[in-house]
Amino acid sequence: MKLVIIDYGMGNLYSLKSTIEHLGSSDVTISNNISVINQASKLFLPGVGSFVKAMSKIKMLKLDKILNDLIIKKKIPILGICLGMQLLCNSSDEDGGAEGLGFIEAECKKFNFTNLKVPHVGFNQVELNINAKINEGFNGKNDFYFTHSYKVQSNQDINCSFCNYGGDFIASFEKENIIGTQFHPELSQTNGLKLLKNFLENF
Amino acid sequence: MLRKRIIFTLIYADCYFNQSRNFRLQKVGNIDWLEQNYKFKEISYFLDELIVINATRNNKEINSFSKELKKITNSVFIPITAGGGINSIDDAKLLFNSGADKLILNSILHTRPDLVKDLVKQYGSQSLVASIDYRKLDGTIAAFTNDGTEKIDMNIVDYLKYVENLDIGEIYLNSIDRDGTGFGYDFSTIDDLANQLKKPLIIAGGAGNADHLIQGLKREKVDAVATANLFNFIGDGLVNAREEIISKNLNIAKWGKR
Repeated sequence: MKLVIIDYGMGNLYSLKSTIEHLGSSDVTISNNISVINQASKLFLPGVGSFVKAMSKIKMLKLDKILNDLIIKKKIPILGICLGMQLLCNSSDEDGGAEGLGFIEAECKKFNFTNLKVPHVGFNQVELNINAKINEGFNGKNDFYFTHSYKVQSNQDINCSFCNYGGDFIASFEKENIIGTQFHPELSQTNGLKLLKNFLENF
Repeated sequence: MLRKRIIFTLIYADCYFNQSRNFRLQKVGNIDWLEQNYKFKEISYFLDELIVINATRNNKEINSFSKELKKITNSVFIPITAGGGINSIDDAKLLFNSGADKLILNSILHTRPDLVKDLVKQYGSQSLVASIDYRKLDGTIAAFTNDGTEKIDMNIVDYLKYVENLDIGEIYLNSIDRDGTGFGYDFSTIDDLANQLKKPLIIAGGAGNADHLIQGLKREKVDAVATANLFNFIGDGLVNAREEIISKNLNIAKWGKR
């Protein structure tokens, strides 16, 4: 199984790589090279930071077209984490609005509270949707690590799991081969390891 | 419910990890020594986050720091925040590529706000923690940069406002007077300042036992408690503290067995 972590130059990819390796996968590559990405049997799209910057880097590296081909046509499993999850969606309201990769009918909106702190940071409980293959073996509420200022919104049926911070928001989704987690499984102790293992084994 | 966090801060200087007391450093051991004697990676299972600060006094050589950082990040499945001596976007990139999930900034908050803004633009505010060291001086609270050596010419309330306006993600508020003493957190200052903050607050300086951590975790406006006290907490100190905190039903995260 060839696993590729897509590198578009934003944030820490190293901890994700070492976590996947810890789970026993030996063939993990961090790359933005199209021919390497083309050979992947599974893809990871991590990242933190600016949605707008990330999309412009992805387009500059011509990764948007290749990802469309691999994910939509060839149904290669992909796990988007944090900003990576948001990039899989239609758009974000960051900086007045930007288009995402558009694989999932959803929008990203900034948290807007008067009485709660932003970013939403720390472990928070997620009510895991048991119909999703990514959540196999979990029951009820489980703690995962979040750190983000934007949330994903969707009215589509995409096997969402929810977390609450000033209202429910989408903590993860699973639409066939496309999985997104707003939380960081690679930073969520044994709960995260279990979820990553599900991605490696169930897709 | 959003959980409160327990954070351990490793104080690095010149390839060694240190016990700091009022910002005076005492060498404890290097990373291999730490792993052998304290089973550091085991202990991380009982933590929510780890912060690693390069407190080397003169030349904060970031290349050797990043190499040590990389050794820590293997088999640790919690967020790691690193910093100390970040002076450019390239420095930030190097630490992220060495396994840092977030960066902790101190002196450049004051000296180079433009660089801080660039970091926010690139990595997002949620990736950046503002470290604010303070001590009581003639009855007032003064903030310091540069490992506690340079006093900032701004009162602490204004300085916190200024830092929050840089759109940094979290505040790490550290009492130099309490640092490494084990006397407990400086709640008189913390309670006063915490009410004015809009960003998540991590408190540091003074924790010496589980009860100190509990006193911090019980405060509504405190989001995380940190300790850098190797002597008091490493070994089974943190393990027992977390178990005690869970048994008291305080709001902290739980995860499955290894």
